Amino acid sequence: MYGGDEVSAIVVDLGSHTCKAGYAGEDAPKAVFPSVVGAVDGSEAMDVDADSAKNNSNSEDSKTNESDKEKGKRKLYVGSQALNYRRDHMEILSPIKDGIVSDWDLVDNIWEHAFRGCLMIDPKEHPMLLAEPPLNTQQQREKAAELMFEKYKVPALFMAKNPVLTSFATGRATSLVVDCGGGSTTISPVHEGYVLQKAVVSAPIGGEFLTDCLLKSLESKGIKIRPRYSFKRKEVRPGEFQVEDVGVPDTTESYKLFCQRMIVGDIKDSICRVPDTPYDDKSYANIPTTSYELPDGQTLEIGADRFKIPDVMFNPSIVQTIPGMEKYGDMIPTVRGLPHMVMESINKCDVDIRRELYSSILLAGGTSSMQQLKERLEKDLIEESPHSARVKVLASGNTTERRFSVWIGGSILASLGSFQQMWFSKSEYEEHGASYIQRKCP
Amino acid sequence: MGGTDAKDILGLPKTPLSLTQEKKSRPQKESHRKPDGISREVYALTGGVAPLMPSIDVTHLKRPPPHDEKVAWQWLPVKSSARKDDLQLYHWVRVVNDVPPTGDYSFAKYNKSVDVLKYTDDEYENHLTDPVWTKEETDQLFELCERFDLRFTVIADRFPLSRTVEELKDRYYSVTRALLRARAQSPAELANHPLIKEPYDMTRDRERKRALSMVLSQSRHQEKKDAEILAEAKRITEMRLAARNSILIILSIKRLVFLDVQRAAEPDVPANENIGSVSPSSNSQLPATAVAPSTLTMADYASTLASLRMLHVYLRTYGLEQMVQAASSAVGLRTIKRVEQTLQDLGVNLKPKVPTKTVCDEHLELRKEILTLLNLQKQLQYKESEGSSHREGTYAAMPDTPKDRVFASEPFSFGAERPIKKEPKRKGPGRRSDTPSPAHKRPRKLKASDL
Repeated sequence: MYGGDEVSAIVVDLGSHTCKAGYAGEDAPKAVFPSVVGAVDGSEAMDVDADSAKNNSNSEDSKTNESDKEKGKRKLYVGSQALNYRRDHMEILSPIKDGIVSDWDLVDNIWEHAFRGCLMIDPKEHPMLLAEPPLNTQQQREKAAELMFEKYKVPALFMAKNPVLTSFATGRATSLVVDCGGGSTTISPVHEGYVLQKAVVSAPIGGEFLTDCLLKSLESKGIKIRPRYSFKRKEVRPGEFQVEDVGVPDTTESYKLFCQRMIVGDIKDSICRVPDTPYDDKSYANIPTTSYELPDGQTLEIGADRFKIPDVMFNPSIVQTIPGMEKYGDMIPTVRGLPHMVMESINKCDVDIRRELYSSILLAGGTSSMQQLKERLEKDLIEESPHSARVKVLASGNTTERRFSVWIGGSILASLGSFQQMWFSKSEYEEHGASYIQRKCP
Repeated sequence: MGGTDAKDILGLPKTPLSLTQEKKSRPQKESHRKPDGISREVYALTGGVAPLMPSIDVTHLKRPPPHDEKVAWQWLPVKSSARKDDLQLYHWVRVVNDVPPTGDYSFAKYNKSVDVLKYTDDEYENHLTDPVWTKEETDQLFELCERFDLRFTVIADRFPLSRTVEELKDRYYSVTRALLRARAQSPAELANHPLIKEPYDMTRDRERKRALSMVLSQSRHQEKKDAEILAEAKRITEMRLAARNSILIILSIKRLVFLDVQRAAEPDVPANENIGSVSPSSNSQLPATAVAPSTLTMADYASTLASLRMLHVYLRTYGLEQMVQAASSAVGLRTIKRVEQTLQDLGVNLKPKVPTKTVCDEHLELRKEILTLLNLQKQLQYKESEGSSHREGTYAAMPDTPKDRVFASEPFSFGAERPIKKEPKRKGPGRRSDTPSPAHKRPRKLKASDL
């Protein structure tokens, strides 16, 4: 008999790029949306005429997946549908900075949208499993527990660390998890289901950083990425389109950047490849280019950038050669490439488990589905590592599984029969307080 | 069958393994005993043969629910002994006849934990104080041990002060040991406790970890270099060993020369004084000759020993044969026959009847001595004939030379250096004979009575 016993728990994973939520026991999360919030400051919205206010109210009726919340004078819009609609003065705010939550209000909104908007459940009836980053502070955990119990009145809660969930998703209790996410890359060893916190290595280079690099690189070449809202295509002749710029003066910079990032992120996902050897300008000068068509009809020819951008993960000093990214120049010397970080993490662990960690290195996160990443990492590690240790990098073949591996691990964990004794229940919270979570959720 | 009809209509050839055949074979299988409870097709999947060891009770596979039972699935609260609070979670439960199943939650039995001893403050004061560890630290350590079920790697990671895994282990085991000793009524019951029988040795653990870390810390590049250096060193040592071996062989040859001179000197003394003029030279030759076979035999002996050792297990008679072969490999077939003849004359079996170790060794020794004896006899005869031919004159000795050649050829077959050394002593031309003449097929049998 397999060890599952459903109690209809909900698994929520709030990442720096996307938020994933769904029922435990399922293969994939039902609700996946960007974890940023559009905020329209109330005072400015008042100045705008009645039309735009009417527009807003119309859009609210028609788009049922939106949710906005009045908090003071600020209206917040969550969800991919809400965000894709351009609004004047809408600022894009991210609740997560450097891997930890900075604005709990936004997080609250995001959760609300996930529960009532996407999943349509009442949190009172379902135990909640939250995924948290491995270096989360005690204060953060307490705040999350407080928010969950006080506001949403969940019956039970558990907070599990991301690498542990990824490890469980592949069926291992001991492994080294390389999580290449949107905001950062974190390498954490997991031993028998517990994260070894002293050996966690993190770098701020993530998928969004690479997207920014690519954006700057394209801009420096004179290519203008037009966000989708800023143009209209008019059919001049059958089959031929002409692009017209739409004047939208009140759009904020952050929204423009958000839309541009969406487009460039798509370019990165479809075209970029990790080079087999470290990148240098000379050898890649004459590489044949690949073409990509932008939404406004422009065709891009991307050649060397295809390989240069992903190599930033392995060799961060390349960033300095990209014009426009100099502000990161002072951060770069402290950041090392991916294989070096893996070695560093393993060497911080106890000697006895090193061999086991070498032979089970797991790749997770959205950025890890970049082509050839696994092969390049394996090759670099085999060169650097000792001969007696067998290096094996494992990655699920399915890109969906790689992206959602944390969520899937949570789904597995919350549906196990023997997990039911580990929930942090409401009565325990009332009896011992939020700090008890440190003991309950190791 | 419709299939074959269709094929006929379409004009397609009938496949050799048609469905009809399979259908025919299946009723045959049905004639085998088919257990009840599973359908025919499912049974056929297993090959139609019952497994040797029934893995599942076949009657369980398909059992229609008894009609008097009413099964429903209900969303009921969980009752688990593993939880100490009153959290009510719900799950689907198979309810039979409206009676929910009793008994504990089926997964509660997996809630196991390690037995970590707890000490009181008094016990700490009396037995467990340690200069390096404070009471708070020890308390923390024990709390972590209980939480993490003695997973020392994780405990070391979460321990607020930085201590190595070995230190933590050492402290925990020594405290537990002291507690056990203090609490035990008699020392006898403790003797079998694993902590007392095999105490944790911190220094050894540390050494082991240091060695392991050294192994694991070398990068592949360094290891390649190390491997190259080791290969070089091995080559050099082998060269040196070979050089030393050759020196040893030369030394042993010299030793044997000395021995053989003594041995060879005896039969030579009663020989003709006429040969005295050549005897000094022959003396020098003899050792050389005697040495030559013995070096070769020694070398063969060594190589045979090596080949036998490869076998690890062999019959003594087989080993003896190998030795004999080695010993006589340097001599011709005639000599071998002669040796065997001599053995038979002496009344010794060619192969010992009772091949114990001493018997085999003695047999081998005997053969070797016979060989040496024959060798010397030949040389003696050769010398005598030389001497006589020298006396009678070269031309008269000519017709003798073929015969001499026969005898002379025998020793030449194993002493290659001898003819070359004999050259300057030759009296006349055409006396060179360094290859045995093929014309002579009937060698004169040398008998012991000849001498």
